[in-house]
Amino acid sequence: MDEAKGFVPEEVRDYTGAKLGMWLFILSELLLFGGMFILYSAYRYKNPVDFHHASEELDVILGTLNTIILLTSSLTMAISVSALQAGRSRLSAFLLMATIAFGLLFLLNKGIEWTTKIDHGIYPNSPTLLTRAKGEILFFGLYYVMTGLHGLHVLIGVGVLSVMLFFLLKEKITQSHFAGLENSGLYWHLVDIIWIFLYPLFYLIT
Amino acid sequence: MMSTGETQSIRPGISFYEDQGRYRGVLAWILTLDHKRIGLLYLIFVIAFFFSGVVLGFFMRLEMIAPGGAIMKPQTYNSLFTLHGIIMIFLVVIPAIPTIFGNFFLPIQIGARDVAFPRINLLSWWLYISGATIVAISVFTGGGPPDTGWTFYAPYSLRTTVNVPLAVFGVFILGMSSILTGLNFVTTTHRLRAPGMTWNRLPLFVWAIYSTSWVQILVTPVIGITLVLIIMERFFGVGVFDPAKGGDPILYQHLFWIYSHPATYIMILPAMGIVSDVVPVFARKKIFGYMAIAISGIAIAAVGSLVWGHHMFVSGQSDFADLLFSLLTFLVAVPSAIKVFNWVATLHKGSIVLEPPLLFCLGFIFLFSIGGLTGLIQGSLAPNMHLHDTYWIPGHFHYIIFGGMGFGLFAGFHYWFPKMFGRMYNRKRVKWAWLIILIGFNIFYFSMLLLGWEGMPRRYYDYLPQFRTLHLTATFGSWVLIAGLILMFGNLFHALFKGEKAGDNPWGGATLEWQIPSPPPTENFEKIPIVKGGPHDFKELNTNG
Amino acid sequence: MKYRAYILVWAGLIILTGVTFSLAGFHLGGWAVLIALSIAGTKSGLVLNYFMHLKSEKELIFKIAIPLVLAVLLVFISLTFSDVVFR
Repeated sequence: MDEAKGFVPEEVRDYTGAKLGMWLFILSELLLFGGMFILYSAYRYKNPVDFHHASEELDVILGTLNTIILLTSSLTMAISVSALQAGRSRLSAFLLMATIAFGLLFLLNKGIEWTTKIDHGIYPNSPTLLTRAKGEILFFGLYYVMTGLHGLHVLIGVGVLSVMLFFLLKEKITQSHFAGLENSGLYWHLVDIIWIFLYPLFYLIT
Repeated sequence: MMSTGETQSIRPGISFYEDQGRYRGVLAWILTLDHKRIGLLYLIFVIAFFFSGVVLGFFMRLEMIAPGGAIMKPQTYNSLFTLHGIIMIFLVVIPAIPTIFGNFFLPIQIGARDVAFPRINLLSWWLYISGATIVAISVFTGGGPPDTGWTFYAPYSLRTTVNVPLAVFGVFILGMSSILTGLNFVTTTHRLRAPGMTWNRLPLFVWAIYSTSWVQILVTPVIGITLVLIIMERFFGVGVFDPAKGGDPILYQHLFWIYSHPATYIMILPAMGIVSDVVPVFARKKIFGYMAIAISGIAIAAVGSLVWGHHMFVSGQSDFADLLFSLLTFLVAVPSAIKVFNWVATLHKGSIVLEPPLLFCLGFIFLFSIGGLTGLIQGSLAPNMHLHDTYWIPGHFHYIIFGGMGFGLFAGFHYWFPKMFGRMYNRKRVKWAWLIILIGFNIFYFSMLLLGWEGMPRRYYDYLPQFRTLHLTATFGSWVLIAGLILMFGNLFHALFKGEKAGDNPWGGATLEWQIPSPPPTENFEKIPIVKGGPHDFKELNTNG
Repeated sequence: MKYRAYILVWAGLIILTGVTFSLAGFHLGGWAVLIALSIAGTKSGLVLNYFMHLKSEKELIFKIAIPLVLAVLLVFISLTFSDVVFR
């Protein structure tokens, strides 16, 4: 034992353990949104017609576009991780940048959607909204909270992926140490999955 | 996982207290990555918050000693019981055993050097402190402390002008702490068990913490989103709980109790885990029905997530829901009863060693059983119509939470104290403290059950003269109880500095923590053990007292 | 996984999005929610199994995680509905 330097414990990395931790976190996030889905299901059950009317006011094109953007970003994310595992870190970095770009594009679209709605006077507690049927008020309440919460998660995801990009470029994430990228990818796919459900439940109510 | 750059120096033969890492002084504690130090950090604050909760309770009982106003205004009383609930539930009872003993002993009991994610563990503690601070700030800002009860029911919580948003935000942060602890412990149990430590050789305390951690991960997010919705409603008028906008306050209650009922199992399962570890050691006999106890914990967690509507029998929910939840509530009593039967069967024909840890376990079994039985009464629809929102309910839950979880916690203190601090406390004094606590407890809380039975409403500042005797008795009981608590904690505190040095295994336990020095070295084990036996293999140990 | 496989999964996701989009125009009555959820569920299944590699995970805990969450949510919604539907 070198008294002056002290003992440095051997580095221990548990790739599966880190992945398990991220999956457990994902479970908690699914239940966070799940709470809102409980509310959504109860209110849609009680106000089917109002929900249908309100849903028609949402921009289906923008919503569908956003769905495609997010699905594609999941593709670039998945290949980015694969590329890194195959040793192609430049391709990996490029695809990671693409994923981030898609994320920002999604947020831009969302921003446009929201500002348009707000300009038309449709936002929580607005005088216009309060003249509508109760089911419609609830629909928009749920819309803003759920897409808002989702958008916040997209924003956080963009942040996390940017940090991972930085690590990738600095070679702290490499072909042999890629858990950070892979686990951030898992988070990103989660954000995609939540939108996969939000899309039909808000934009496609028949 | 430890990464390069962490120079936690380790020299064999010294305890984790003396081992110096990168930092000195206070920083060596609040920036530590050592699960044992983190456990102790939680210990200090949990006890501090416990005493603040007790002080609030003391003043509540002082106010209630006689009808009419005594020492405070009605608004103050409302804030007192709200804060008492928030502090006790979110800062003490939910975190206590997992964060103190789970942190300190889970890794050791499975033969690991630390938890799976030491940095997230430290983050959990910082979130705990931040959440507590935010709640404290809400008391002095924005209109004053919340007066809604710890349950924050809509619509009142949406309209009252006190500082509900900050208080619920604080609780939200505490929820994040809980989720991270849960996922840390689940990962640790799956990934870091020593060779030979199979699932069926795990100490029952580990099984209990494991079940609890799953509940923490899965249901805490639901209250997270519910608290966020309160804030959204107050600031943006979203409408989800506002009837004027089509919202339904009963849905608030559903969301709230979907978490808060399983939360009661987060509170009790770890305490049951302690009892399951302690009883065999002091009966010198392996536990009766190891698998039954392990699996019943999972069953309690699972079935316990299906019963939340029993808090809502009079809320206006459908009759069908009333019936369904009542039926499910009776079912969840079964796995709890299995544990009680198995503990008693373990004691039967055992070589009983009546030391403080066992005393508190016996107290647990007695008080938890009373609490559980009262639970069955209020779980039946007809009595519930009369008992809901009366003193019966706090009577019930103080038996379960304080008599159950509290006594389990005290058992843990007295069992693991020598291991954590390397000293032994005065055992005779504990027995007196235990007796005083038990007497005060029953005078206090049994009076509450009687008060409720006779119709005294809860959360009421004033009451009719017919209730005065029982209230006086309850307040007197609270003083006896507090005296006992002071004696118990004082004794432990004194032992911290003046207690006799304790050996590695004063109780003759067979789980791994008793095979390492008291207090343990930083990395717990010189060499990771190869486990060959179960947690109750008393014959093969090294009892060097 | 080869890149081609990922692109095929992506194509499947886009197609299913198209399907769910077109079905929105039809009058499916009570079945609408169920069908929409099934399609969303299938899409999620593709993301989970292939993009998130759940299909190739060997440990039990990874296999039961998602079904567990689904079961929990289903139970929460069902029991809440035992109130909402019968009031």
